[in-house]
Amino acid sequence: MPVIEVRELVKRYGDLIAVDHVTFEVSEGEIFGFLGPNGAGKTTTIEILEGLRQPTSGFVRVLGLNPSDPDDASRLKWRIGVLPQDFNALDRLTVRENIGLFCSLYRNKVSPNELIKLVDLDEQADTQFYKLSGGLKQRVGLAVAMSGDPDLAFLDEPTAGLDPKSRRETWKVIEGLKGLGKTIFLTTHYMDEAETLSDEITIINRGRIVARGSPEQLINLYGGERKLVIKGDEKIYTVLTEEIGKKAIKVGDEIQITFSKSNEAVEVLRILSLKGLSFDFEVKRGSIEDVFLKLIGARITEEGELK
Amino acid sequence: MKKTLTLFKALILNWVRSRSGLFFSFIFPLLLLLVFGSVFGGTRQVKYDLHVQNRDVDFYGTPTNLSRAFIEALNSTKSFTLTLVPSKVNPTEYIKKNTKPFSSRIRFLIIHEGFQSEAINGSIKSQINVMIVSLKSFMCFAGEHLTPENMSQLGRGLETLTAVNQSLPDVKGGLTLLLDPSDTGGQVVKGIIYSVANAFSFKLVGAREVITLKTDSYTAKTYSAVDYYLPGYIAAFIMTNGVIGVTSLATDFKRRGVLKRLMTTPLTKMEWILANVLSQTALGILLTIVMIAFSWIFFRVTAIPGLYSWILIFLGAILFTGFGMVLAGLVKDVEAASAIGNAVAFPMMFLSGSFWPLEIMPTYMQTIARFLPLTYLSEGLRFTLILGYPQGAVLDFILVGFLAVFFIFIASLVTSWREK
Ligand SMILES: Nc1ncnc2c1ncn2[C@@H]1O[C@H](COP(=O)(O)OP(=O)(O)OP(=O)(O)O)[C@@H](O)[C@H]1O
Ligand SMILES: [Mg+2]
Repeated sequence: MPVIEVRELVKRYGDLIAVDHVTFEVSEGEIFGFLGPNGAGKTTTIEILEGLRQPTSGFVRVLGLNPSDPDDASRLKWRIGVLPQDFNALDRLTVRENIGLFCSLYRNKVSPNELIKLVDLDEQADTQFYKLSGGLKQRVGLAVAMSGDPDLAFLDEPTAGLDPKSRRETWKVIEGLKGLGKTIFLTTHYMDEAETLSDEITIINRGRIVARGSPEQLINLYGGERKLVIKGDEKIYTVLTEEIGKKAIKVGDEIQITFSKSNEAVEVLRILSLKGLSFDFEVKRGSIEDVFLKLIGARITEEGELK
Repeated sequence: MKKTLTLFKALILNWVRSRSGLFFSFIFPLLLLLVFGSVFGGTRQVKYDLHVQNRDVDFYGTPTNLSRAFIEALNSTKSFTLTLVPSKVNPTEYIKKNTKPFSSRIRFLIIHEGFQSEAINGSIKSQINVMIVSLKSFMCFAGEHLTPENMSQLGRGLETLTAVNQSLPDVKGGLTLLLDPSDTGGQVVKGIIYSVANAFSFKLVGAREVITLKTDSYTAKTYSAVDYYLPGYIAAFIMTNGVIGVTSLATDFKRRGVLKRLMTTPLTKMEWILANVLSQTALGILLTIVMIAFSWIFFRVTAIPGLYSWILIFLGAILFTGFGMVLAGLVKDVEAASAIGNAVAFPMMFLSGSFWPLEIMPTYMQTIARFLPLTYLSEGLRFTLILGYPQGAVLDFILVGFLAVFFIFIASLVTSWREK
């Protein structure tokens, strides 16, 4: 039985359809990545699953319970862990006290110290929450999400706004949670995050599901072309586009050409070296970013906007 | 309950560590008490007008010793400006004639004929009661060592004493206070008279020779300005802690998503409300203790809160926590909520008679005060904490208790434990 089952879920805010006939399933023990730009409907969906919001219509089961039924919702709360978007705890309590507070709201055997170790906050355990950096706050949030020893964790943009180093550290923690056998519902607008962490990715845009599958499946289906990345002489771009007539894009000081057959790449490289141009090259496999570009025709910026 | 207590502890700790919270709910009230107390002086009196008619006079119109002593005692509290009214005047006509528009109402105390003799009877009665009780316990303890003859003598003595006691008339108090029902200071006046009368009967029971009691030994408790401020301040700051403190805590928790985080735990809405009630009660108790300690250290004002005071403080904390929760539930915006909180709290503070007696304010303001819950909390605390006269606070208890239930009920309706 799937841990989460959603069919034809709709949520309207007045005229706006924030979630538009969404259907998906999450199986036990996996990290389910819910990828989409700002305003795609990620938080709305996750909060319906947590029992915080009432859906307009559709079928939802989480751990076999119906979150929009009050009795089921209160039963559900014992079994899920939540990291809300923009997590905050009690400012003047220390990391340990905050985690301790949430632990004692459940009847369970998880000890705050275990959780502190799990998220690697031993050094900051006695620091008051408001003094922590954004990355450390998120890690407190992850510990708090685990305070009820849940079967299922909802993480809403766990690394939004963090610097690359903190993001990588947070990923490690999340992978650790998976190692404990938890099912994880993760939303993000970072392509690399979705690709690195998820077993299953569902791409959502403007409330609609655009694609579903494992990262490999998605890349094979929609990002299958490989890329030739060339760095070097200024003239290369003009030669490529005007003389050879190839479609190339400039990304910073790199030039990228997508191709489907290997000899196309060899041919391009041969012409360039015959012209005596100096360059360096690399062949890259497609990524979720390409999948996204292909499906939606735009990229997501660091801030989560479509561009 | 465990969840509530856990959250309660966390809220208290969070509050103790936040300096602005500490300042507004603790240091500020104390400063105010010290400043006001010193400016107006610990000894300055709040005086109430009282018209006294002594009917306990002899044929020539000379007051009996005891009634005169009682008036002296009333005077020595320094709480009253006394006007003596001749014993033959009709009270109703007197009140009608002397009531002027826009001035405070006439309060008329009648010391009835027979005040002295009844008081003495009463005191004899009490003494006989003491004797009866002692005799009985003596017989009980020493019974084995007494001869049957002794025993029957004692038994007869006991019978005589009981008979004498029953033949004496019951004490009716001999005092009548005429008040206008709309008179806001009336209950306070009643309380002071009650405590003087109490001190009086105590002296009478304990004294050997009732008639020769000296007047100067009747000096009852006097009431200073700080006596007036203390319960008012405690009440006022229980109010602001609820109306401003709880409102801003709840809206801040909502804005920063802490509330949402709590909603996704097994914590229920009522447990959240209850944890806030508990933390405000703890705050109220702490504030009361510190205020009383300061009043004693700086102004030598002694106030020892009894059970009734604590109950009232608890009810007050519930009432205003409920109020704050209602406000936070209805107004989503943090700034707007705290603005409304302030706009409610400060006028209420000054209009409620917490900081100065209502009777020095214009009549229409006194009318407004009757609609403010804080008026009843500070009035009730004044009766229980300072005057030691909880009987005077019945209405206060009823109203504060009712409003406490009412606001918690509304709070539970308007607090949303879900997103929209
Ligand atoms: N309570 C609400 N009332 C009205 N509209 C809302 C409400 N909550 C969200 N919306 C709108 O619904 C859409 C989806 O919002 P949602 O927060 O689910 O997106 P999201 O994918 O989580 O985006 P973000 O990356 O910004 O968190 C947005 O257009 C948003 O403005
Ligand atoms: Mg969101």
